[in-house]
Amino acid sequence: MAPGSLISRAKFLGLMAAGGVLGYGGVLVGQRSIEGWRENTVEVPTPKFDPTAYRLTIDGLCEQPFTLTYDDLRGLPAVTQVSDFHCVEGWTVPDVKWQGVRLQQIIDRAKPSKDARYITFHSMGGIYRDSLALQQAQLPDALLAYDMDDARLPEQRGAPLRVVMPRMFGYKGAKWLRRIEFRDDQDIGYWEDRGWRVDAWIKA
Amino acid sequence: MARAAEFVRRFEVPTRLAHWALAVPFLLLLLTGLTNYLPRLKALAIGGFRLFAWAHVLLGFAMVVIAVLVVLSLLRSRSMRGDAEALAAFGDDDVRWLEHEAMALAGQRTATPRVGKFNAGQKINAAISALATIGLLGTGVILGINTFSKSVFTVGITGMTFSWHTLLALATIPVVLGHIYLAALNPATRESLRGITRGVVRHDWAMRHHPDWATHASEHELPPEHR
Repeated sequence: MAPGSLISRAKFLGLMAAGGVLGYGGVLVGQRSIEGWRENTVEVPTPKFDPTAYRLTIDGLCEQPFTLTYDDLRGLPAVTQVSDFHCVEGWTVPDVKWQGVRLQQIIDRAKPSKDARYITFHSMGGIYRDSLALQQAQLPDALLAYDMDDARLPEQRGAPLRVVMPRMFGYKGAKWLRRIEFRDDQDIGYWEDRGWRVDAWIKA
Repeated sequence: MARAAEFVRRFEVPTRLAHWALAVPFLLLLLTGLTNYLPRLKALAIGGFRLFAWAHVLLGFAMVVIAVLVVLSLLRSRSMRGDAEALAAFGDDDVRWLEHEAMALAGQRTATPRVGKFNAGQKINAAISALATIGLLGTGVILGINTFSKSVFTVGITGMTFSWHTLLALATIPVVLGHIYLAALNPATRESLRGITRGVVRHDWAMRHHPDWATHASEHELPPEHR
């Protein structure tokens, strides 16, 4: 080691490398923690998606109730939509790219009866459900999403299907969707039962 | 009189009380906050109220009250004010202490620097902790208000606030771990724990780690029964 030097070259380079790796890793982890998704669920364990067994049931007060397999669902005319996701807790995931089926398409096919003014969305776990007024479900950005950011919807994000209502808080978008039910009264939903707003519009 | 000189008083009750009144809720807030990353724990609910989420919010508001009380007690307690002033005073000796520590890490012994009641590491820790706590409380209050009313802040504001709150909280983790290690576990420094719990530390330890405080302290600050 050169006289008067603080540490050896080897030690210095080693420290720089270690610092670089830690720093880069730290930024990656940090960024994901800050801007990424958090998982909120009331059903533990997370519902498991079986692509062959999965069925989406559309029923209730409608003239043509029907069932879709996962392949049927992916075979329907699809749209892509980019929107921010806002959780009522205060966090946001910006520019989420959703791909899926317009809710309007499902509604048109089911032909809701005249008294059908509300829809309840049921999750696979059997506990969570949320609702929309029929007119809300017919909005141009109301979506049933099966892909997120160019990949299949991950298990923690609601595989295989979730409701997306960009202009409402995230709890209105039921995950692990298995049934869409048309009703004449509003079964408001899990969090609404506990005091959260039914019409969860985000006031920007 | 050898036994009487064995311990020297380091912290009075106000400082110790303030430390624990802040530290315990802080740790609980950190732990409850971390359940954001553990969905099963996060989902734990009693009568529709998520246990850890509500514990976090309530602890947060309690922490605001505690912080105010601590600041107010600074006005009333001379000993606590002294400690705060000692922590806030950063000078040449502190720079030399840091250099000494850096050299020691690199395997080079240098002359022992002057160290008062707190070394530079402790002063830096105090500064970081204070700033982080203020930042977490400020952002936390915004998020807490948002819990009860969505009409006060836009999602733009809460989104950014949530990010800063998360960033600050995660950044405190290595600081807290380091602090607990040095204060309670590391053999050379864990005598400190006695100081912040019982208020006294061993005189020989103090002479070794805080020589310029210990010589002064042993003359003037022995507990009354030892004078």
